[in-house]
Amino acid sequence: MALEQKVGLHRGVETAFGKLIPEKEAYSYCLRTIAAFSANIFQVMRILNDDWEDRTEKICECANMMNCAACSGSEGQLQQYLNDFYDEWNIPEFVDREAWIGAIWGDYGDEAEDMAGRVIQFTRNRVEKELDSCPWDIVGSEMCNMTTAMFTANFDIAAGGEHGKITNDVALNMCEARGCGNPHCRVVAERLDAYGLDHQGWLDHRGASTAPVHDTPPERRVKHAEGLRSGQYTQAFGEEQSFEWQYNWVAQMGWVWSVSFPLIAIRDMEKNEGDFDRVLSIVFATAGKNHFIDPFAREGLRTWLDIPREIGDNDPRVMGAYIGAIMGCQLVPFEWEAFDKDGVTIKVSTDDFNGRFPMAPLDEITAGYEAEWNGAIKTLVSPEWSVWIDGKDDEFQFIQIGRKLDSRMV
Amino acid sequence: MLFKDDEVARADAFAVRNSAGWYRWTHDTVDVAGPDSTALLDKLLVNTVALCKVGREKYTTMLDDNGRIIDDLMAIRLEESHWWLSTLYGPQMIKWLDEHKQGFDVSYSDITATVDMYSVQGPRSTEVMDKLLDVPVDDLKRFQIVDATIAGIPVHVDRGGFTGELGYELYCSRSDSARISELLRSTGIRELQTLEVFVRSLPMEKGMALRQDYHFLTPFEANLGWSVHFDKKDDFIGRAALEKAQEEGPRFAFVGVEIERESYEDICQNEIVRKRGVPVGKCRQMIYGYTVDKNIGFAIVDAEKCPIGTKVTIGPNDSPAVIVAPRWC
Repeated sequence: MALEQKVGLHRGVETAFGKLIPEKEAYSYCLRTIAAFSANIFQVMRILNDDWEDRTEKICECANMMNCAACSGSEGQLQQYLNDFYDEWNIPEFVDREAWIGAIWGDYGDEAEDMAGRVIQFTRNRVEKELDSCPWDIVGSEMCNMTTAMFTANFDIAAGGEHGKITNDVALNMCEARGCGNPHCRVVAERLDAYGLDHQGWLDHRGASTAPVHDTPPERRVKHAEGLRSGQYTQAFGEEQSFEWQYNWVAQMGWVWSVSFPLIAIRDMEKNEGDFDRVLSIVFATAGKNHFIDPFAREGLRTWLDIPREIGDNDPRVMGAYIGAIMGCQLVPFEWEAFDKDGVTIKVSTDDFNGRFPMAPLDEITAGYEAEWNGAIKTLVSPEWSVWIDGKDDEFQFIQIGRKLDSRMV
Repeated sequence: MLFKDDEVARADAFAVRNSAGWYRWTHDTVDVAGPDSTALLDKLLVNTVALCKVGREKYTTMLDDNGRIIDDLMAIRLEESHWWLSTLYGPQMIKWLDEHKQGFDVSYSDITATVDMYSVQGPRSTEVMDKLLDVPVDDLKRFQIVDATIAGIPVHVDRGGFTGELGYELYCSRSDSARISELLRSTGIRELQTLEVFVRSLPMEKGMALRQDYHFLTPFEANLGWSVHFDKKDDFIGRAALEKAQEEGPRFAFVGVEIERESYEDICQNEIVRKRGVPVGKCRQMIYGYTVDKNIGFAIVDAEKCPIGTKVTIGPNDSPAVIVAPRWC
């Protein structure tokens, strides 16, 4: 009876060989793989645009615009949007909720994405948030800057009180960022009027805060967000969201802010038509080849997926199981069409694969993973094998793992 | 989060404990009126609001069908058949009324957007209010509400608050809000700056909890059994389940915790409480109490395993803590 109760409580993602990846581990892996995809995309950006200031400014502007657009519309529509948000999170009037919606909003997003930390201060004129972990800490400084542009949008949609106008009446600084080597991420918002500050430009968001910050000592920092620690996220006014909710939320929204929004700006950075697609496939293929260069990486994967020893190293099922684990942990539904020593075929809805957030489908997910997995199989299995995706423009696409001769092997 | 060395927060707290302070404190407010308003509220709330006189108010809880607290609120009787419900979040209250209004001749609406509320708290608050109001409030009883004016502006004044000190709450129209805050500022008493001081620190020191602290508890488990009027009223939502729960005894105890460390940065709401490494409950929230100079919190723990004095740990870094009574001063 006791065992039955325990089994019923725990979920997981099943690998090709029947092993269950526990839900919490699957969630962490999901976050890290989205972050890795994002890191690759930002490498594409750095090749297309070698000017740090220029590219940072461009993705900041785009991320801000897209965040504003997400809640645009008439005044009534915006108010309805905000009311729905207040309802969902039970945010009462007495916190001056319109003034600080950005902070309230940001906290649950951070927690859902396992950016674990704490709101150090929450007052009328100042909010300080400190984060001890960030799965996206591999992406780089442009992203850290970009997140402040997103927060600015969240403040702007309600804080200024003037509908449709970007009032930018809060100085928002990511004073520290793990993606830049700091032990924490630290975001501080301070009201311009209260602190006598000037409006900021997109490159001004990495300054120090005006009031001193609180630095949590190392022994009191946390490794994971509430969902992993306690099984749910509890917002300041008591509304709780389950870990399951959090996992589903991030499997959608993680793609939106860290891949979809920056891509809008990055695509426009190509100087010659076709540069973006060419660079994207090179970057992702290289990333893929490097996944399994180390022998212990291959051995580690076999252990993690419980690949039986009867399946040798030069077998397409090793790669198939790896792709299946990525898709499973990213909560993408799929079917095995073939899974034997001659090859693997995975059937997946194109909408599910590219449209992680239904309103923002991305062909680049297919293009990126096709290149990355085709690179990865060269070192994980052998160069005799390739990965390609058929039916990219159809309702269903088929991820193929098979033998392929390519005299140029670019 | 509040820290020992936060001098602004400390000054806020001490103003209320030792003198007087004011702050905007606009609860969500739901207006309920009509011939059956009292009967409907008696169906929804655990105590007998029908016994509440006009111009008085009652603190009470509202339960779901399982007898567990879904809200705690003040029911304010403005007229014979006219109530204000002061709740944490009005839209949820409206949904609950929608579900249970059938057969009752009532009307109700969330008036939060039209009403503002200011709180004046502290031992000197009567003196401050008497200076502000056209009519003194010296003889106002606890949980009594009266109509009054401040510089000609109509207000409701009730004697109450959420700090455990002598205090008053001023309800005014949103359109008069700026003027009222100006007048409060002109009294020279401190305008509190730190939300967490008046939402959490001051109330918690006095054992006052927020709705979320009571989530999933019965009033008996929440130490609010005194508010349940089994003998004085007929059926109410959750009664059958609550009677059964009372027979079975408490599953959880609502207790206080004190951590034996300088700060609590790694303890969020619902952090797991462990006794000798084994989970025995959850910590609702920690805060720094400036009056008692301690990091204090509420917790829901296994009633049998965690009597007062039990040593526990809380959170991912195993902060040592002790179970105490949920009131500090």
